[in-house]
Amino acid sequence: MDGAAGGLRQSLRFRLSLWLAGSILCVGLVSGMVSVVVAYNEAHEFQDDMLRQTASLFDQRHLPTARSLAGGSSRDADPEARVIVRLVPPAKAGGTGTSRSSFPARLAAGAQTVELDGVPYRAFVQVLDSGKRIVVAQQTEVRNEAARNAALRALIPILVLVPVLLAVVAALVRRLFAPIARTAGALDRRSGEDLEPIPLGHMPTEMRPFVTAINSLLERVRESVSMQRRFVATAAHELRSPLTALSLQAERLAASDMPDAASERVATLRQGIERNRWLVDQLLTLARAQTSPTPTDSTASVRDALRSVLEDLMPLAESKQLDIGAEGDADLHVPMNESDLQAVLRNLVSNAIHYTPPGGRVDLACAQAAGVVEVTVEDSGPGSPASERERVFEAFHREADSDAPGSGLGLSIVRTLVHRVGGGVELGDSRRFGSGLRVCVRMASARAGMKADASGRRD
Amino acid sequence: MRVLLVEDDAMIGRAIEDALHDAAYAVDWVRDGHMAETALVSGHYDMVLLDLGLPSRDGLDLLREVRRRGHDLPVLIITARDAVDDRIRGLDRGADDYVSKPFAMSELQARMRALARRRGGSAAAVLSNGVLVLDPATHEVRIGDAAGVRLSRREYALLEALMIRPGAILSRAQLEERIYGWGEEVESNAVEYLIHALRRKLGSDSVRNVRGVGWMVPRGD
Repeated sequence: MDGAAGGLRQSLRFRLSLWLAGSILCVGLVSGMVSVVVAYNEAHEFQDDMLRQTASLFDQRHLPTARSLAGGSSRDADPEARVIVRLVPPAKAGGTGTSRSSFPARLAAGAQTVELDGVPYRAFVQVLDSGKRIVVAQQTEVRNEAARNAALRALIPILVLVPVLLAVVAALVRRLFAPIARTAGALDRRSGEDLEPIPLGHMPTEMRPFVTAINSLLERVRESVSMQRRFVATAAHELRSPLTALSLQAERLAASDMPDAASERVATLRQGIERNRWLVDQLLTLARAQTSPTPTDSTASVRDALRSVLEDLMPLAESKQLDIGAEGDADLHVPMNESDLQAVLRNLVSNAIHYTPPGGRVDLACAQAAGVVEVTVEDSGPGSPASERERVFEAFHREADSDAPGSGLGLSIVRTLVHRVGGGVELGDSRRFGSGLRVCVRMASARAGMKADASGRRD
Repeated sequence: MRVLLVEDDAMIGRAIEDALHDAAYAVDWVRDGHMAETALVSGHYDMVLLDLGLPSRDGLDLLREVRRRGHDLPVLIITARDAVDDRIRGLDRGADDYVSKPFAMSELQARMRALARRRGGSAAAVLSNGVLVLDPATHEVRIGDAAGVRLSRREYALLEALMIRPGAILSRAQLEERIYGWGEEVESNAVEYLIHALRRKLGSDSVRNVRGVGWMVPRGD
């Protein structure tokens, strides 16, 4: 909750929407109040004007008849408007009280508020040429009601427009921020190897500095990655040449006539060189797996790769009298290039051979289910304790008390290569043998993927 | 046999030169591409061992030039580049085979022999894995100095398929393809039957089974 609230507070879009909505509401409120007051006052002024104009219509020739005036019945007037027109009685006649109430005689010319029978009136007194005074009056209550109505009508556009404006602002803000969301989404979906610059095409001006900065960062990363690749390639060459020379010389030395003691030492020397060669190979394979781009369009046959790996490793397996074999003869394909797949299988099988005692058994199996190719290697060796299983993937990790001549890089290489194509590696207890390790590698099936595509297109 | 060795690394070059001398090859060793070109124009060679990473002239360039001039001699590439692309490009430009550094001298020599045999077109050359010697002319197998054992036509076809590259594992389907002609009906268990017969004649270790994968004759080193 706190995080979400904090996230909202941090959100530029949320803050912008909030401030815009607040401003609109404030402006709406103030302008509403102002227009109510203005409309109210204007209505009053307008009504005053009306009274004056009505009064000015009367002149000598068009005096209202005495009866109509004295009768008090305002037939001509709008009953709703409750406008009454009277002659103001002369001051001296003030004493002749009539049954009907009338305006006080002392009314001055012009607009004023008077009370008639306790009801407040707005009155306009016009002095005619004859000296008579005529009064046009309207009930204050009616006037006020009309003014209030006018004021409310003035408020209507604001009441309607404010919600519309709020909705428009919300939509606009969302729309204007869309490029940011789009760019972030596109960046997020990228693979770790896609270091292409972000296109600046229709990027808003405010975002350009960011995007340009990100692009220059991507450029620097790309440079350093390609430098690393060049380094790995050069290192491969520079390390291999002297090692090749060394092993060739040792091989030649071993072929020459020499005492038994010497030839034994040469054999040890050659073993050391061989181990060095393997280590260099493994290091370069790992470095290449970590730095080279994932080839996207290659597929390799598990069966072919497994056969080629077994051809290389059979002499080793035979020297330990291991029973090694494979199950499953379907020709499965995975989206990897051939040398990567061979590196994966070679490391799995050679690990199994190294850790299985003489006379033991190593079983390989490949199967496919639901578009996933599963390659398992099980051995009858001592296995690996569950607590060690995450650490064996670390580079240079070796089982304690082990004198197996591995490089400690095998499973790192396997995991790096398999992760690159979106697969996974899992260690477990052997299900076939009492003890022993079971390594399971899962990768998408290259062929199944193609079939799915094809059927998708048909549909 | 006269071999032109093109290798810029002094230690590797010397080691190969010495080893090939020991194996009775006549070796000319040059250390860059231009000298190699000169040597190819002036001398006659039966084979070229070509390192790809040469100073002053790339090995692949040299290879293309050699093929463009119509030299048809076998070329074996030695490369420290491990990219698959390079090997493919090398083979595309007319190389016959390759070895990657680091390699063992025995492997290089085996490939040279295979290349010479292939180029020589001598179908009669014997096949050997160090233990068994198979003579295509007589369909006989010898084990060490013992007298030859005659093989039936299909036994011979099967063993020959395995002996072409000792250590290679061939699947049942691959072996069936070798022992049956087109249109011939494949009998079930034929491969097992032939292997059983071969083992009876040559010893149980002569042909090995890799469970679930196929059969091989061991590489004798």
